[in-house]
Amino acid sequence: MGDTSPRTSVSTDGDTDHNNLMFDEGHLGIGASDSSDRSKSKMDQKTLRRLAQNREAARKSRLRKKAYVQQLENSRLKLTQLEQELQRARQQGVFISSSGDQAHSTAGDGAMAFDVEYRRWQEDKNRQMKELSSAIDSHATDSELRIIVDGVIAHYEELYRIKGNAAKSDVFHLLSGMWKTPAERCFLWLGGFRSSELLKLIASQLEPLTEQQSLDINNLQQSSQQAEDALSQGMDNLQQSLADTLSSGTLGSSSSGNVASYMGQMAMAMGKLGTLEGFIRQADNLRLQTYQQMVRLLTTRQSARALLAVHNYTLRLRALSSLWLARPRE
Amino acid sequence: MQGTISCARNYNMTTTVGESLRPLSLKTQGNGERVRMVVEENAVIVIGRRGCCMCHVVRRLLLGLGVNPAVLEIDEEREDEVLSELENIGVQGGGGTVKLPAVYVGGRLFGGLDRVMATHISGELVPILKEVGALWL
Repeated sequence: MGDTSPRTSVSTDGDTDHNNLMFDEGHLGIGASDSSDRSKSKMDQKTLRRLAQNREAARKSRLRKKAYVQQLENSRLKLTQLEQELQRARQQGVFISSSGDQAHSTAGDGAMAFDVEYRRWQEDKNRQMKELSSAIDSHATDSELRIIVDGVIAHYEELYRIKGNAAKSDVFHLLSGMWKTPAERCFLWLGGFRSSELLKLIASQLEPLTEQQSLDINNLQQSSQQAEDALSQGMDNLQQSLADTLSSGTLGSSSSGNVASYMGQMAMAMGKLGTLEGFIRQADNLRLQTYQQMVRLLTTRQSARALLAVHNYTLRLRALSSLWLARPRE
Repeated sequence: MQGTISCARNYNMTTTVGESLRPLSLKTQGNGERVRMVVEENAVIVIGRRGCCMCHVVRRLLLGLGVNPAVLEIDEEREDEVLSELENIGVQGGGGTVKLPAVYVGGRLFGGLDRVMATHISGELVPILKEVGALWL
């Protein structure tokens, strides 16, 4: 859109330029025929003057063209800036329109409703985290912190409940991660983050841990990883058996294929796709269990700091996404 | 590390050889005594529909802990039959319906993948598995 209009304008400008030249040449031509009887030197002088005038006109025309192109170039830059601003605004706020046209033409109401709910969830989360952060800064008591920490965990529980509902209506929307920013999608595993990865990040932020605590956190990280591996292997298994189901029988012959067996194949494949929902649910279950266990292993203050660290990490990922989307592209 | 229970030598149970599961051809004898025996004879057994991916997840998770669970795969047409047999087994705490995949530990219903996952993360699973002799360390 931004590209075509300047180009058309430039070519129009080119035409005008050309017309100018034609006109100048015409002038020259008339002059030449007029002075056919005059003396050679006088004519030469006149011709030279006309030629000089002609050159001058052409030079001016070139300058005008240059200025015009420059102006167009400026407009183009302004347009790009506007587009980037729009994109940024979408990233930060309007989630409904940010998930891309393509996703939306196929996504149903379930996906839309989820995006709205998720945005609201995020706003609540930001509020909670501000509260937690200022509680830490103002040296709130452990029992005060505990209330907020429990609130955050409950809030995660709420997210997984929302996701569970969304998975029922549109599991592929969740798996695609289109409800997240691009950089977050980079780390997407079964519709969310990997708990084991988060624990790795947190561990370094929580110094000093007692020996027992670092051992426990390390074990928890390993357990999460084991569970993630098991789920990943289950997904591989699902893909394999889906492929086997679809390719069984007669892939080669096109027309005559038995309609009944084809429908049977599809029914079986549908059943297998149906288990995807279970995978999301189990992955979210794993995420929740890991959070809960983490809070059990750490002191209240450490838990608060850990949750804040996770949140700040997510914020950075989102900021990175915004920067990425706003990067100059040529 | 070698705390694996080889599963049900006496039955045509799936001894998990490498990656492939050898399906169990379980013939019911009378009033579900066969299913009860299989469940009771194995320290850990995973029961689910044939080809169920969640069963695969449970099995993989247990394998990761060093337990080689027996796996009982049920054909669709046998499902109701086996389920009703299973419901007669671990019903001491009010029982209720058994949902597949179901994991039995020490002859009693332990739960589904949710429970296995939760106890795994909380660190309770390994002691339970040791208790029933599915794991030594």
